[in-house]
Amino acid sequence: MHPKDVRYHQEHTWVRVSGNKGTIGITDYAQDALGDIVYIDLPEIDSSVEAGTEITEIESTKSTSSVISPVSGRIIEVNEELSETPEIINEDPYGNGWIAVIEMDNPAEIDDLLDASEYGKLVDEESK
Amino acid sequence: MRLSVLGAGPGGYVAAIRAAQLGARVTVIEDDEVGGTCLNWGCIPTKTIIASTDLLAKVRNLEHFGIDLTGEVIPDLSRIIDRKNKVVSTLVKGIRGLFRSREITLIQGRGVLASPGTISVTLKDGAQETISSDSIIIATGSRPAAIPALPFDGTSILSSTDALNLRQIPKSMLIVGAGVIGSEFACIFSELGTEVTVVEMLPRAVAAEDREISELLEKEFRKKKIKLITNIRVEKTVIKEDGVHALLSDGKEIIAEKVLVSIGRALNTDGIGLEEAGIRRGPKGEIIVNRRMETNIPGIYAIGDVTGGMLLAHKASAEGIVAAGSIMGQDAEIDYSIVPAAIFTSPEIASVGMREDQAAEKEISIGVGRFPFRALGKSHAMGEISGMVKLITDAATDRIIGVHIIGPHASDLIAEAAVAMKAGLTAQELAETIHAHPTLAEAVMEAAEDVHQMAVHLPGNRESRD
Repeated sequence: MHPKDVRYHQEHTWVRVSGNKGTIGITDYAQDALGDIVYIDLPEIDSSVEAGTEITEIESTKSTSSVISPVSGRIIEVNEELSETPEIINEDPYGNGWIAVIEMDNPAEIDDLLDASEYGKLVDEESK
Repeated sequence: MRLSVLGAGPGGYVAAIRAAQLGARVTVIEDDEVGGTCLNWGCIPTKTIIASTDLLAKVRNLEHFGIDLTGEVIPDLSRIIDRKNKVVSTLVKGIRGLFRSREITLIQGRGVLASPGTISVTLKDGAQETISSDSIIIATGSRPAAIPALPFDGTSILSSTDALNLRQIPKSMLIVGAGVIGSEFACIFSELGTEVTVVEMLPRAVAAEDREISELLEKEFRKKKIKLITNIRVEKTVIKEDGVHALLSDGKEIIAEKVLVSIGRALNTDGIGLEEAGIRRGPKGEIIVNRRMETNIPGIYAIGDVTGGMLLAHKASAEGIVAAGSIMGQDAEIDYSIVPAAIFTSPEIASVGMREDQAAEKEISIGVGRFPFRALGKSHAMGEISGMVKLITDAATDRIIGVHIIGPHASDLIAEAAVAMKAGLTAQELAETIHAHPTLAEAVMEAAEDVHQMAVHLPGNRESRD
């Protein structure tokens, strides 16, 4: 149930790596926990972000939560679709609901992230 | 007792009526229209227009409420302005009627303090009239402030007064100043479909509010695609064929069809004979008064914006009541400890008492409770879940010292907070007061509970709050 082509951060975000670029988003578990997403504050292009820190904020009918970046780098693209239709994140968190593309400072950071089975265990723990 | 009141705004007209109620023979001198800025070019006109833009926002969201609308929703600003004018004229007539019923004489013209106890008035037709009285109340109010870089021309560079009479929706608007007025107009024009940019020289929007409230408003601006640029000034404007070119202090240029200047208000203290009468004024030109609203010249009182402080209609009215009572021999004194204020942005903002940073400056150890509207059943039912109530207490006594609200009907909810503070209630007492369900006011109760981490509808381990 957790896609194998991405790596996971324990704060329920994912990154899909292609060369030195990483596309990031929130996990299916995260979108389910948040409930209906009503707004996402899209990060600014060209801004820098550190792994493990807030890249943006996401607002649902239940709460406002931080989105934690799984990797460090410079934001080179954001998903503009989300500004009008943030519910795409609920519908397709690993696909059309991607949030941003980051040009990674240090692709080796990926090794610190969880794979699908490790993330699966984490989610099982948290849902207990 | 004969009383003359110079200016018929929410300070002057209230003072006039109260003095008449107490038995004075009152003459009011007004250069323009009764009701002053509040009724003619401020509070009431903006709220009337906001009634239209709020409705527009709701209609645009109909599908979420299970209602289909076939056809287009098109705001017609000209008719919105017509409606505004009608509302204003109804209320103006109302005040004139109250004056008549209290046998208050209204003289329309420009009044100047002449010799002690007299006001000389230049009537509309140029004739002069002299009015003598035992006491005088100065209530001449304020007007939109201008700066040299942004000279009002009424067509491209607008004051808030001009903006209330625009009959065509501008494609783009640059609003200079993200205070109360600028923020309200940003929401109005954004909803009408204007591309709005707001520039502010301070670090945040509505900088007089609690920091968290500013942050939440700024987020709502982003949702509405209102562009806010802070820490910036407009250096120069040039009007060209394609709009107003505004040069900013960072060297960038913004081009907009209209520029609205809302940088503050200037006091109407010039040319009314204050110097000649020897009335003492403060560093900002404001008239200095005591707690009975009397100036240094016996028998001459001043109320409202001309006395400085918060430029609020209800503050002026409260001062008018005190001045009238004082003149009529009552033991009246003004109490500024609890003055609620509201901003009619979308969502609304309202506050009373101390901000968190003010409490910190005074080194008061505080308790803070917050409750987001999205945790409230009524908010979900209404489909308005943005915002929060923030309640600040003196930790030593648990007494409420400040309440800050951004969210649906904040301007109505603040009244409860003001009463609670006036009564000296503790957060615990407010929390123990049964609130009707389902109502927005429950958010105030839960915020009071949250001061002691006892809000029932908040999760136990919270990371984020809003």
